[in-house]
Amino acid sequence: MLELVDVTKRFGDVVALDHAGFTVDPGRISGFLGPNGAGKTTAMRAVFGLIRPDSGTVRWNGAPVGPAERIRFGYMPEERGLYPKMKVRDQLVHFARLSGLSKSEANDVVDHWLGVLGLADRGDAKLDDLSHGNQQRAQLATALAHNPDLLILDEPFAGLDPIGVESLAETLRGLASDGVTIVFSSHQLDLVEDVCEDVAIINDGRVVLAGRLDEIKNQSSRRRLSIDVDGEPWIPDLPGVEVVDGPGPSHCIVDDDAPVGDLIAAASAAGTVNRFVFEPPRLTDLFREAVTP
Amino acid sequence: MNPWRQVGLLAKREFIQRATSKPFLITMALLAVVILAIGPAVNLFTGGEGESTKVGTVGDTPPGFEGELQNQATLFDMTVETVAYSDRSEAETALTEGDVAVVLAGGNEIIFHTDASSRLTALLHSTVNTTVKAEVLSELGVPENEIASVLAPVPVEVTTLDEADVQDEAKKGAAFFGAIALYISIIMFGQFVAMGTVEEKQNRVVEVVLSRVRPWQVLVGKVVGIGALGLLQLAILAGAAYASAQLADLADIDVAAIGLPIIASVFFWFILGYTFYAFLYAAVGSTVSRQEDLQGAIMIPIALILPGYILAIVAAENPDGPIPTIGSWLPPWAPFVMPVRIAAGVAQPWELGVAILGTMIGAVLLVWVGSRIYAGALLRTSGKVKFREAWRAAAE
Repeated sequence: MLELVDVTKRFGDVVALDHAGFTVDPGRISGFLGPNGAGKTTAMRAVFGLIRPDSGTVRWNGAPVGPAERIRFGYMPEERGLYPKMKVRDQLVHFARLSGLSKSEANDVVDHWLGVLGLADRGDAKLDDLSHGNQQRAQLATALAHNPDLLILDEPFAGLDPIGVESLAETLRGLASDGVTIVFSSHQLDLVEDVCEDVAIINDGRVVLAGRLDEIKNQSSRRRLSIDVDGEPWIPDLPGVEVVDGPGPSHCIVDDDAPVGDLIAAASAAGTVNRFVFEPPRLTDLFREAVTP
Repeated sequence: MNPWRQVGLLAKREFIQRATSKPFLITMALLAVVILAIGPAVNLFTGGEGESTKVGTVGDTPPGFEGELQNQATLFDMTVETVAYSDRSEAETALTEGDVAVVLAGGNEIIFHTDASSRLTALLHSTVNTTVKAEVLSELGVPENEIASVLAPVPVEVTTLDEADVQDEAKKGAAFFGAIALYISIIMFGQFVAMGTVEEKQNRVVEVVLSRVRPWQVLVGKVVGIGALGLLQLAILAGAAYASAQLADLADIDVAAIGLPIIASVFFWFILGYTFYAFLYAAVGSTVSRQEDLQGAIMIPIALILPGYILAIVAAENPDGPIPTIGSWLPPWAPFVMPVRIAAGVAQPWELGVAILGTMIGAVLLVWVGSRIYAGALLRTSGKVKFREAWRAAAE
């Protein structure tokens, strides 16, 4: 279990993390969300000791994280980078060994991941000679090269084509079912909703929402209402209604005690109802609400 | 995991990646071939020892001259062959064109082109003397065997009281080349450290590395790995230079006695000097984010190294002068100047102690300061980081 407890970090006058805290349970995939500059990368760097928090602690299975714990973590930074002139396989083995694997263990694990990620025949190529997609795979393989217990990925889906997205999501699900704890950041909320069981939303250095996605949704006092009448979006006149335009069909966010029966009647009176959806908010609704001042 | 094992892995990667890179292998091979070729090339230009000297003759030579010349030449440790010319002008032309080294005219005149060689003069003089006297003795009726025994050259051994002259010159020269090798190696491998540091920042791989190890481990691994490569290069160059000197067939110079201590001294001072400067190079390298900005940053170590190099040249000429003497005590320059003064035999043991201790203390200080700046600047991948900012950031 990974815990960030009350972590604060200032860079000069800028507060990057402001008493930030959240927890990720073992074997679960957690989405780490927030607008640009909210503090996601700083929080991830704090886990790896790349920055030292001014206060607060990062814990792994109850113990403060130190070199002995970190050696079992895998990291894919937002700024991708490996050695461009080094053979892919050689660098993966190098990193696996830096993480404490013996030569033969490192060779086995690296071969496994090269195979899983479709790079088996590119191992002897220099990183520079790989396509963009394959370089991205090599970067992920680097994070995985020592079979880590915790995997932290900064924007792993950025720049992937839909097939790449699907295969990465598949890989992550497989890892989680093997007990690996996974945290990744993303701006693609639909994707996060698809892949993640837990979320943590950070804004201005503070964690504003965290927990199991389905619970958060159900516990929300808001509902997503989407009604089409005569093929056109139909917005009811309700107190506290909030209209959201696209992407997808226009819809509105209303309180969870909205009078659904009355709304159906009113919509029917206005014309032919093609569509009537009253459901828990989606992640994108929760996100917008959480980060809007 | 033992942090030093990780340092070892980092050092190994630096060493192998660089040692197997084509530019390094090609440079290395070219340098070794050039150095190896210098020895034989010197032989070619100086004519070397084994070459036979050509002696021209014109007019009559005393009977038995040819045989006696060969006899005496052996005593002079020379090989000679004779070329006979039909008239004097032909012989003089051959002499000016360098076809022969000397001409014996009419059996009683020795002609040189410009400078008279005392050795050749003595050889011809003695040969003519012996043959003419033999002829006279023979005419007087002295039996052949008695003539031979009377005229047999008396071997006289030549020794010099102050033999050191040639040796000293050779020693000085070798020390000077050692200083150049040191200077080039420290600058070259220091620059490798700086470039490697910037490369890792520029590729952003540094964050992947630092998620596994601490900055000091990356720094020490890099310095050790590249330093090992420096030693390998020095070993190859020293081997080539040594072989080259053997091939040069240098008479009177004991290549092993002069070369080996110089080589050992270059290795020793490279380790000290490189350690001192490598951490400085790493620190300045870590403050920039792109290779293009590196040239400006490495002016700092170069400005420190250059006076050391100049002092070494001064010391080669004047090892006892006050400026080279003081320079040889001070950490930034001791690695360049002290070996030259030691080779010249003027450095006192206490001076050597001061130089070694001072450089070691300086190196330790630079390891500390350099690592802190390196750690503070490493993750700042945009623009240039000021030393002060990096120093403070390391505390964060």
